[in-house]
Amino acid sequence: MSSIRHPKITFWRTVVAIIFLAGAYAAYARFALGFEQSTHLADSQPWGLWVGLGTLCGVGISAGGFALAAAVYLLGFERYRPVIRAAVLLSFLGYLSVIVGMMYELGLPWRIWHPIVMWNRRSVLFEVSWCVMLYTTVLSLEFSPSLVEKIPWVRVRDLYLKWHHQILIGLVLIGAILSSLHQSFLGGLYLLAKGKVDPLWYSSYLPTLFYLSAVPAGISATIMAVYLCNRSLNARVDPRLLSEMSQIIAPMLYVYALLRGVDVVTHGGAGYLFRWREETLLFWFEIALFVIAPVILLSQSKVRNNPNTLYGTCALVVMGFMANRLNVSITAFQASSGFYYVPKWTEFALTLATVTAAGVAFHYAVKYLEILPRSVPAKNWMTTHPATA
Amino acid sequence: MARSKAILIDITKCIGCLSCEAACKQLHGFAQDPEPKLSTTAFTIVEQHGDRFVRRMCMNCQDPACASACLVGALKKMELGPVTYDSSKCIGCRYCLVACPFNVPRYQWAKLVPFVTKCDMCYARQAKGEQPACVEACPVQASIVGWRDEILEEAQKRILTDSKYVKRIYGSEEVGGTSVFYISDIPFEQLGFASLQSQPMPVLTANALGDIPTVVMVGGGLLAGLYWITNRRKLVALAEAEESAAESRTGKDPHHV
Repeated sequence: MSSIRHPKITFWRTVVAIIFLAGAYAAYARFALGFEQSTHLADSQPWGLWVGLGTLCGVGISAGGFALAAAVYLLGFERYRPVIRAAVLLSFLGYLSVIVGMMYELGLPWRIWHPIVMWNRRSVLFEVSWCVMLYTTVLSLEFSPSLVEKIPWVRVRDLYLKWHHQILIGLVLIGAILSSLHQSFLGGLYLLAKGKVDPLWYSSYLPTLFYLSAVPAGISATIMAVYLCNRSLNARVDPRLLSEMSQIIAPMLYVYALLRGVDVVTHGGAGYLFRWREETLLFWFEIALFVIAPVILLSQSKVRNNPNTLYGTCALVVMGFMANRLNVSITAFQASSGFYYVPKWTEFALTLATVTAAGVAFHYAVKYLEILPRSVPAKNWMTTHPATA
Repeated sequence: MARSKAILIDITKCIGCLSCEAACKQLHGFAQDPEPKLSTTAFTIVEQHGDRFVRRMCMNCQDPACASACLVGALKKMELGPVTYDSSKCIGCRYCLVACPFNVPRYQWAKLVPFVTKCDMCYARQAKGEQPACVEACPVQASIVGWRDEILEEAQKRILTDSKYVKRIYGSEEVGGTSVFYISDIPFEQLGFASLQSQPMPVLTANALGDIPTVVMVGGGLLAGLYWITNRRKLVALAEAEESAAESRTGKDPHHV
């Protein structure tokens, strides 16, 4: 090629560039100026948006990978195989973004390795950190064939893929258990804050509730991702497959709602359900978004079978899920701390930039690797003879 | 277990002179300006409630929430009583701040290399047999230090022999007991003390953590069992398909599918 091709300036590229610029400044503020200049965190709200949105939502929305991997490889739902790679990739990038988030969330990020050698088995956070480390390793192994099959050296490639095939079932099984453990333990973190967490959210069943809400959110996010790939990356996944996949969401939300309802009442939240206060309003906002609206919408085949409305409904589930995590981590602490935490714009900017980076990586992975069946074959990157695993 | 130390703070005796605060600041090399609340430069402060003075400091719990929360074990309950902080382990996750039922730990938000700060009952001094700086500085013995069992006895004696006291030793039962006790002639609720469970805080997470082996074994067994069924079905289907293929090859039943 003699001429250099300049990238075209498009709307989305501009948006992404602005987000990255804002994120770069926020990162500068965090690392060169400190927490005080880059966040509105305080002693009475030591965990804010970075934990609530970055970590809790990041991990939760990444639950699709283990759920679909278990469904396809362990339970034999072969028909979901076309989306399995997309689900695993989404989870992998989700966990990577959570780990990147840790780098600015922790006060001393260069010590992020400490939990490997310094153990406290009584700490829920210790268990979470180990599960996240191990599961990210599992995800990278689950995802690895997408990259390895592009290696031009056939021998190495085949050797790796053969080995991978042998350990895959074990990986999926370990991954499902690790995920289940730390998805619930993220809720378990808040058990210790009894007396600080509002009765509408505190419960000794927080671990179970976190787990039961993460799975439908993860599946919804996977449906959204595949829909977007169908729409703008020439992916050709049968929309009926997505519609079928969405049928599991409503039953999961029913179970969640039932447990949550019983739980709120038995844990002393009943008296707060209909009080005129911000927490109660946000509670109902969360319930409406996460449970009521999706359950009604998903019960109609008209909504499920139209890819656009299905996408919108899944977006509601994901947003409702995010509302729940932000409520647990921020809203629920307001009354007890007497501190009204509103995140600083730099907190939003850094989280948004991290998520956007994951989105951009997802985009290019789908474009250049064999992640989803596509009408336009993947660009011949590295090798012209990609193996299929 | 070796005997541990405890501090008794008698609210009826405190005159609000702030000597304790000053001694603490001097020991840690902080600037000598009184602060209204615990901070990264004030590990103990004196609050005024009406005409009573209440000195706040880390309660140094018997089974501390912060120490159970800390994933790297930077916070530790020592045999001598104090709950110490090893800054060389801390990764800055701030879970201890979330966990503490007394809202004691503070974080150095303004620093580029921020650490957690809190009172450690002058562990270094006590290990040498000296009193905590705040106790030593008290001119009226509103704070006294001693072996925990003896200090509890002393508190018991005071509230039983003098009718002005509320019949309660704050810290003897709260969150499983602490190493700092308060006695008062005014109900503790009116002095801003939190009503807390008598169960140690770590019990709340211990149950969940105790479920790990069950989840791993039951979940793992269940998934492995389901996989076995799935795989078996696949194998049976494969064998059947091969059988019918073989049959069609031998021409026994060419139309059978």
